[in-house]
Amino acid sequence: MSLKQRILYLSAESTDPKSSTLSQALHEPLKNDIVEIDPTSEGLDYKTVHEAVVDGWRIVHFPDQRSSIANSEEEIIGFQFILEKIEDYSE
Amino acid sequence: MNNIEQYLLNDDQVADFIINGYHIVETPLSPEFHDGIYSKLNNLPSNPGDKINIAVPELNKVYDHPSLRGPLESILGEKYSIGEHRHCHKNHPGTRSQIWHQDNLNIPTLMDGHNRSPDHIKSVLVMYYPQEVKSNMGPTALIPGSHLFRSAPDRNASQGNFRDQKIATLKVGSLLILHYDIWHAGTANTSNKIRYMVKYLFERKKESEKPTWNHNPSNKAHILERLERDDSATLQKSLIHKRNFLRTKMWNNIAGNGSLEYKYHDKWSGSWPEPKM
Repeated sequence: MSLKQRILYLSAESTDPKSSTLSQALHEPLKNDIVEIDPTSEGLDYKTVHEAVVDGWRIVHFPDQRSSIANSEEEIIGFQFILEKIEDYSE
Repeated sequence: MNNIEQYLLNDDQVADFIINGYHIVETPLSPEFHDGIYSKLNNLPSNPGDKINIAVPELNKVYDHPSLRGPLESILGEKYSIGEHRHCHKNHPGTRSQIWHQDNLNIPTLMDGHNRSPDHIKSVLVMYYPQEVKSNMGPTALIPGSHLFRSAPDRNASQGNFRDQKIATLKVGSLLILHYDIWHAGTANTSNKIRYMVKYLFERKKESEKPTWNHNPSNKAHILERLERDDSATLQKSLIHKRNFLRTKMWNNIAGNGSLEYKYHDKWSGSWPEPKM
């Protein structure tokens, strides 16, 4: 058993942690962990970033308030929060 | 059988394509016909690349079927052309998911180098699936409405599953017509069956002078309202106005004399909101 970092990427509709989440990717601290689009997914784990915080996740990165990439025609959908949980983890 | 009139889209179906960026066609060809194509693909010793239509000539019957030509003429105009680039995707059991992406630009065989067209329909991808596609067989995933935006795949790579993603589980022999710029990805095949997808490109040859679908001018107000209000995948509010502008511009660019005009109308008059208890 050792302490390891679980990482949760959540994109939300705005910079407000209580706005609706739009996308999610969860990275587990396992050697063969695979993170990918899941065609059998039945939805996201949390409706808001705040809901994840209530569940024990800690925000380690807050989104930039500039919604799109500055001076670019490219767009990113949503505002990305990165959260972590430090937990005892075993392979 | 060759008459495509019955397969032309109507105003709402064209609006659906503009709003979501995709349209599904289920051809009336028999399951046995599609099974035959699946078997031929399965017996190919190597990837014929652009010559997949020569290696499996039955594909011509699929791609020339009126049930596909009707929707294509509706959104690409009359006398659209077929691109030289074709590809058969062989998705083995165990294949992992791709990341969200728009297809590559600057394919030399394409006529205009394919700059993105977020306000027009200049080309479409048509994906043909010769077998039923269940959710565990590597279905194509789409983000509805994303064709209106230029993506940065490396910066989107951390986004994983979208709440409003569309997973294209399909009946045997279905065709998926996609705006060329839609964000999409092949997903993991966790079944024990190979999933084939054959991809062709179709391109607009000229600007349309009038709608090339079953258009009824009396629908204009209804369509304008849909382009302004219908949701596709949820976005941040700061992109909604850009989205709606591009939708309307796209309609106007393909509709010729059937284009829409903004006319001021009072959207707010009427009954007061009810008190919230």
